[in-house]
Amino acid sequence: MSDNQLDLKELRRRELILKITTYAVSIIITALFLTPFVLMFTTSLEPGQKSEFEKLMANPVKRILKHWKTIVLFFQSDVRINLYNSLIVSFFSTVGCMYVSALTAYSLTAYEWKFRKFLNNFIIGVMMIPTTISAIGYYQMVYDWKMQNHLSMVIFPAIVAPVTVFFMRMYLQSTFSMEILESARLDGAGEFRIFNNFILPLMKPAIATQAIFCFAKVWYDAYIPAIILVDSEKRTLPFAFNIYVATPDIITYLPPLLVFAFFSKHIVEGVSLGSVKY
Amino acid sequence: MSKKNRLKNRYNKWGYIFAIPFVVLFLVFHMWPLLSTIAYAFCDMRRFECVPRFLPSIGEPWYRNFQQVFESKSYNDAFRNTWIFFIAQVIPEWCIAFWLAAMVTDRRMKMKGRLVFKTAFFLPKLFQGSALGGVLLGHIIATATTVVMYVTMAAALDGFGVDLQDIKFFMSVGFLTVVASVFIHFGITFIYAVAGITSIPVELFEAAEMDGANRVQTFFRVTLPCMKPMMFFIAVVTLVEGLGMSDVPAAFGAFDSLRRNLTMMMYIQNQAFMGTYIFDRASAASLILLLMCGFFAVIIYLLFMKDWDEAKLKRLQKKELKAMENA
Repeated sequence: MSDNQLDLKELRRRELILKITTYAVSIIITALFLTPFVLMFTTSLEPGQKSEFEKLMANPVKRILKHWKTIVLFFQSDVRINLYNSLIVSFFSTVGCMYVSALTAYSLTAYEWKFRKFLNNFIIGVMMIPTTISAIGYYQMVYDWKMQNHLSMVIFPAIVAPVTVFFMRMYLQSTFSMEILESARLDGAGEFRIFNNFILPLMKPAIATQAIFCFAKVWYDAYIPAIILVDSEKRTLPFAFNIYVATPDIITYLPPLLVFAFFSKHIVEGVSLGSVKY
Repeated sequence: MSKKNRLKNRYNKWGYIFAIPFVVLFLVFHMWPLLSTIAYAFCDMRRFECVPRFLPSIGEPWYRNFQQVFESKSYNDAFRNTWIFFIAQVIPEWCIAFWLAAMVTDRRMKMKGRLVFKTAFFLPKLFQGSALGGVLLGHIIATATTVVMYVTMAAALDGFGVDLQDIKFFMSVGFLTVVASVFIHFGITFIYAVAGITSIPVELFEAAEMDGANRVQTFFRVTLPCMKPMMFFIAVVTLVEGLGMSDVPAAFGAFDSLRRNLTMMMYIQNQAFMGTYIFDRASAASLILLLMCGFFAVIIYLLFMKDWDEAKLKRLQKKELKAMENA
């Protein structure tokens, strides 16, 4: 019996050490991650060489007030068109991607049709291809159609994202039951109405999660806009740096942050609620 | 019976209708460019707005583009760099992410402040900097550099016998690229790992705890096998982002003459769009990248998703059926 007897003090000590290690690592990593953001918000408005320590210690409010002119100048300049372009592209890409992906995920789980399994495996297969590989062919195609400089040519490839469809299908499979569908049909609802009024609210957590990812990805995409949008008037924001060097970086980083803050209360529960049944 | 089938068919046609937008958009905007790129790899396309000419038709061997790609020194550098960056980034990132995910969702050790940590870890992914003038990326790199510098300087000052020569490795572009990549991709790996772990029913963990499994055993024998589809997802995303990494090394200076930070994606970009329109070589390099991605993706699929026991069962059943037919 003495072999099986657990030494309680030893166990408690081991648990404590593990707890302290976890907290320490988490706090270190959090500090490492948050420092760049703090630095960004305190130094983005003043170009100048200062050491990291001084940057941390500087008073952000005073500096923001002092350099308010830079932000105002930005909004009066021509470069604000780039900001609007970025907003338009990101907004429509995200909305389109969410709707089309949710539609496809729904069609893959709720209906039995002939090519369902094929489309399933096809999406998984396509997920493994980096999208930038098709950039060269896409560039030729856009020039063949003479649609370069058109913002929609940047929006359409972003709408098609197999990763999003896969994720939404995974989520829908765990939260969907045929009873909702059948009872809605019994009440005489059309299929589109069922989708818009029943399924979309059901998938809100997954949609919120993927919306944040999609928005950030499209906002910061440097590959496709660089090759499609040639006119400086039509370009998206990351390229404004080339033309107008004193653009406040804060403008570039603010919209994704706002989107994240808006959706963030959905993201954690959303991602963890998705079941991993295949 | 036929009426029920007719009803079902009437509803099932909506499956086709709902899938049409995705399929059409995908075929037009992804499949066709991909096939064109593959076709261009075998053509001669050297100038802007030219018509691709199929290589054998102008008397050159069909593998000329591939030959030129493999012979060029910058491609070999890019190839080597990409693989070094990828493997050096994935191993620490996965270890720390999975360890922290297991610790954060551990039931026996209730950790406080989980939400704060999850949000903080996710932030760098959200702000993945742009390729041109990514100030945030610069800040991340500056922070990482400063930390590394302070740590190594402290080690040197303490008289551990560390020379400036030894520290030089930690200041090199390669090391900093790897550190910055780990920063950026750690958050998303962590979030998906936590999602995978929390989707496992609690009863399994309770049963393991009752059977006396310690944490390590629980992790490797209960958590990881139950997480296979999520692991597949994470592995594929990591592979695709790692091999296609072009923005992090570019932030260090896109035209490094010693090619210390050249990756394959940057090579393709330089060939095709940065002044020289050598599309055919870029297409050949893209095709090679695609084949590599496909090869490793198939390996990942076989590792994680394929049900080996079920396949064996099916084979045995087929054999039995055949034996019964022959008897």
